[in-house]
Amino acid sequence: MQQVSVAEDLPLVEKLKILSDAAKYDVACTSSGTERSNVGKGMGNCTQAGICHSFSADGRCISLLKILFTNECIFDCKYCLNRVSNDVPRASFTPQEICELVLEFYKRNYVEGLFLSSGILYTPNYTMELIYQTLYKLRYEYHFWGYIHVKAIPGAASELVEKTGYLADRMSVNLELPTAEGLKALAPNKSRGKILKPMRLVQSRMEENKKELVLYRHAPRFVPAGQSTQMIIGATPETDYQVISVAESLYKKFALKRVFYSAFVRINEDEQLPVLPGGPPLLREHRLYQADWLLRYYGFQAKELLSEKKPNFNVLLDPKCDWALGHLEQFPVEINRADYYTILRVPGIGPKSAQRIVRARRMGTVDFEDLKRMGVVLKRALYFITCSGRMMYPVKLEEDYITRNLLSLKEKLPFPVDGDTTYRQLSLFDDCHIPYEDSGGSTEEEVLGIVKGLEAAGNGAAQRAG
Amino acid sequence: MGQLRELVERRRREACPSDRLRCPSWEEEPGIMETEGSMTVFVCEDSLDGIFTGVYDAWASRLGHRNVRLEVEEEKTLELFCRYTPVKTDMEKAKKVLGTIRERLGEECTEYICQAAACADGRKADAIYRMVVLGLSLEQGSQVTSCLTYGPVATVMELSQKTWHEAHKLMGFVRFSKLSNGILYAKVEPKHQVLSFLAPYFADRLRHESWIIHDVGRGLLAVHGGDVGWVLMEDQDLNPERLGQVAEKEEQIEELWKCFHESIAVEARINPKLQRQLLAMRFRPYMLEFTGERGRERM
Repeated sequence: MQQVSVAEDLPLVEKLKILSDAAKYDVACTSSGTERSNVGKGMGNCTQAGICHSFSADGRCISLLKILFTNECIFDCKYCLNRVSNDVPRASFTPQEICELVLEFYKRNYVEGLFLSSGILYTPNYTMELIYQTLYKLRYEYHFWGYIHVKAIPGAASELVEKTGYLADRMSVNLELPTAEGLKALAPNKSRGKILKPMRLVQSRMEENKKELVLYRHAPRFVPAGQSTQMIIGATPETDYQVISVAESLYKKFALKRVFYSAFVRINEDEQLPVLPGGPPLLREHRLYQADWLLRYYGFQAKELLSEKKPNFNVLLDPKCDWALGHLEQFPVEINRADYYTILRVPGIGPKSAQRIVRARRMGTVDFEDLKRMGVVLKRALYFITCSGRMMYPVKLEEDYITRNLLSLKEKLPFPVDGDTTYRQLSLFDDCHIPYEDSGGSTEEEVLGIVKGLEAAGNGAAQRAG
Repeated sequence: MGQLRELVERRRREACPSDRLRCPSWEEEPGIMETEGSMTVFVCEDSLDGIFTGVYDAWASRLGHRNVRLEVEEEKTLELFCRYTPVKTDMEKAKKVLGTIRERLGEECTEYICQAAACADGRKADAIYRMVVLGLSLEQGSQVTSCLTYGPVATVMELSQKTWHEAHKLMGFVRFSKLSNGILYAKVEPKHQVLSFLAPYFADRLRHESWIIHDVGRGLLAVHGGDVGWVLMEDQDLNPERLGQVAEKEEQIEELWKCFHESIAVEARINPKLQRQLLAMRFRPYMLEFTGERGRERM
């Protein structure tokens, strides 16, 4: 076996520094999706909505103690800080150390639980076994019942993945890059099949577990908060259409709970990695998340939002406004009569306010004043709705006019855009037919091909797993 | 650890356990003898019991709903042509009102009303009164939560959400530190009275621990004594300063957390504005990762 230099005597602070620094590019830090009260012995519970415990300087939520078990890795993925060819300080935790850290942090309410990932130490199986042991110790020796998110290591034996799944709340396998070609170019040791195999395994095991739970209420629960994955955005030339099509098929075919998008940060100097002069593509990431929400909670489909002719999102308008402007024939919507899903498609109305509207109108007529109190963003919604047949102001239902007005409302973006020249130089009031960035684009066939390939690979993986 | 357990047990014995009393006169239709005349303002104590007593008194006064108004004690200019009646908080009356609300308007509505009553907003007392009046007039009382087009109901919902938001945030932002006698102690300074919502949450989560959450602004404590449960008390009754010193090992663990908090941020995405939006400055004085010299730099 290959010799690895594990500095065993490193103080805990140093290890934590190295191994949290190495884990920070993983996006998922949610603790949502499962509800569990204290089981009696020991410590910890989970809440459905998840809880943020702090926010780091980059404005991301800190909910879980996000660490790697080790940053030793035999793989050489181009984008990764921990690749074997990088000369970085290496460290490994022991299961004992992780348990103590989690418990001490949890007791003081610093975190909601543990997010455990790892570099590949020796072999995938060896690494998965270490992760399993840590989780077992945490659950059954320390009686910790807080949230645990764990990575399924691609290439690990299915028995190992399965028994780890009974100890975790959420499992994830990172898709890394949206297409198989991208993966081949940047992650030579990984393949689409190897990634989809554990994903399919977790999915089918979860389905079986659901049936078991119907029969035996106290049967052990397998990954109760579901599985998630993440894709790096901007390292390879995929279009937004490709990305959300992949996400959509992951939701539909693999029953994923969440797909995370991570704007590419160039950590390694490598000629195969693109240089992005504007820094990480944060706006693009933001638009993808907005679209992701539309897919999951608003009943939209990927092909409604984008198409091969229009493969990327509008930089100036959020995907929902953009969609509404393209479908003005479906508006205005009568708030007192339209069904829930129609109301949900109005810009400025989210699932919560839509539910409130549907509820309130059973008891009385809803007016604009009421909408405001229910949390509807009227400055955006007013162009698309009527209350008892009247619009709020006499407005024209005309694309250019509404676009102009919507653009003059400053969209609340989660990051400053002042320095971003791609935005500023557009004169908003002269021309509102904003050209979409054309990145060469992909055809409908290509996208379908990707999705099909994904399915085929997934099915293959399932057969192999079965 | 033992001292908290005793304290909680004693407090619990003292409190009267019968909370489901019903008053027949409350159930009766109120007098609709609406006499034209001046407005009577019932000024109640700013607490759940105070507001519920106010609801009871306002209803029992039989002055007609149009002629009464509820306010919580706060400094404000008195209005002309109003009669101000101070309400003396009465636990019996409050319990009757709570019982009726539970029974007639349902659990969900009770929860909203309790949350709204904890909100630091002067509109709450009157809005709760009107919502209860409407609820009791409906055939199915639980439908009152759907009457969002009725102003007071919308207000109660809005206030309950404000309280719940803050409570939910603090569920994450509370920071305990361990004292040398093993008790976990945390200070908070919330806008709304959220201790009553935080306590049951932490009582489940840290079920076997002894802990205290101290609302510094209101001088309230939520005290949990291990398996015996929790109580709410005023901080004059238990001086947290006297509980003991911070445990020795504490500094090491705090250092580990600060170090984690720092290294988990991605340099290429540093965004203090977003951080401020999500974690308001007012929470930070009690969060160790933002105090001390290094912490202040991070702000």
